Amino acid sequence: MTATAPINRPAPINRPVYLDYAATTPVDPRVAAAMAQCLTAEGEFGNPASASHDYGDAARVLVETARSQVAASVGALAQEVVWTSGATEANNLAIFGVAEYYRESGRHIVTARTEHKAVLDPCRELERRGWRVTYLAPDGGGLIHPDRVAAALQADTVLVSIMHVNNETGIIQDIRRIAAVCAEHGGAWLHVDAAQSAGKRDVDFAHLGADLMSLSAHKAYGPKGVGALLVSRRARGRDAAVQLRALQFGGGQERGLRAGTVATHQVVGMGLAFELAQAALESESERLAALRERLWRGLAPLGGVMRNGDAEHSVPQLLNVSFEGVEGESLLAAVRGRLAVSAGSACTSALQEPSYVLRALGRDDVLSESSLRFGLGRFTREPDIDAAIAVVTQAVSRLRRLSGE
Amino acid sequence: MNYNEATLRYFETALGAGVLSGPGTFRGAAGSRAQGTWVQFDVQLNSNVIQAARFLAFGCPHTIAVSAWVAEQAAGQELRAGLPETVQQLSERFAVPVEKRGRLLIVEDAWIAALRGALTHCGATIECSPVAPISQG
Repeated sequence: MTATAPINRPAPINRPVYLDYAATTPVDPRVAAAMAQCLTAEGEFGNPASASHDYGDAARVLVETARSQVAASVGALAQEVVWTSGATEANNLAIFGVAEYYRESGRHIVTARTEHKAVLDPCRELERRGWRVTYLAPDGGGLIHPDRVAAALQADTVLVSIMHVNNETGIIQDIRRIAAVCAEHGGAWLHVDAAQSAGKRDVDFAHLGADLMSLSAHKAYGPKGVGALLVSRRARGRDAAVQLRALQFGGGQERGLRAGTVATHQVVGMGLAFELAQAALESESERLAALRERLWRGLAPLGGVMRNGDAEHSVPQLLNVSFEGVEGESLLAAVRGRLAVSAGSACTSALQEPSYVLRALGRDDVLSESSLRFGLGRFTREPDIDAAIAVVTQAVSRLRRLSGE
Repeated sequence: MNYNEATLRYFETALGAGVLSGPGTFRGAAGSRAQGTWVQFDVQLNSNVIQAARFLAFGCPHTIAVSAWVAEQAAGQELRAGLPETVQQLSERFAVPVEKRGRLLIVEDAWIAALRGALTHCGATIECSPVAPISQG
């Protein structure tokens, strides 16, 4: 059975079409089954840190197998995988860990305005603590040019943090060239948030040249609550590989970088999810690219429809579209109940705020708000796309009529 | 964002959407699309009774729902200088969060702008809104 076999398709009865796979994915049934075997008395419920009995040994074998599965699927060494509770914790460990460890070497960090909040908020916190942060602007297509990174580097830059694939637009950054810029600088370590790319496209940690990389399980049909930080063992021409200061203490697990009992069932789920995703990568990419283009071709006749982000540099599973002549909150309300998508606005209060990512790409507030992010995934089929086209077409047309457009 | 039943019903049906034309029709608008909320009302008078009212709205579901309700309620009513309910009452009827109540003032401004022409036509004037001041968050 392949990862795309229809048998895994959830029952669609009376539920909206799910096109929010960039937010999260359902756990693959095979992954759920493997996780369940680590929970009860009949399974491997032992503490993987227990070295004095078979229960611990068996759990430890599963944890290390999962570590190898994750490493193999992203071109890393098993020793480079540090388990975390998710990509947010991995980002925090990378950013604060480097900043604290190298605080005597420098206090300057480079990142981008289009990063996820899980990177931007730690950077803001470091600013409050006395670090300086440069927030790079993307071009109109969403790309962060390596030459802009090079220009932003200063003598005391210790970290560059640039995401691999943007969570709103799907834009893929040229990490390899950015890594080369950092290597030439000599003092800036490169952290890459790969939450939206690992398990969805080819990711080769060693080849990309990053020093740190954050991974998430639940974006790739694994469970929520588990992720990993890849910490390179390669010095890349320097005296030593990247070092981190731990953020939590109490047991010394994960080579002292992340104290706490490793959740066997969670990491087993992540390991299998990444292995399955890797096996299906090529066929899924082609299939999703075709579905995405079907969606775009279906929406374009509405007119006043703008694709956000450079289509040539985006992942196949994501499409972000702004609709002229409609208000964002009403658009989301009009499709809700029939279609599960994300809006280009952040609902941080009763008042919606325009997407800071789309604003960074040059969209005005109204267009930034009136966008929808369509995230396609393993269970998306042509009828889902056709239904989405019909729902959005009806909603946009109605809202435009209501506003006299 | 969750909406109450009244907001969902009027947002989804929006029966009074559209424009009116012909003798005795008066139009008023307020707000701006660029700032996220714009409302227009048309009222059609027969002597001093509002025979029909229509609205157009670019805005959130609350804005559309309240505009639709105002247009619906006004039909058949005698012309008077204000909304059928105060902004405070409307915000309660439609469970409008306090941060968004400023948008109801745009609905009110559009309605009063439409009435202004109608009242002038009837020889009356609007001196002020009958609505108690509210916090705009």
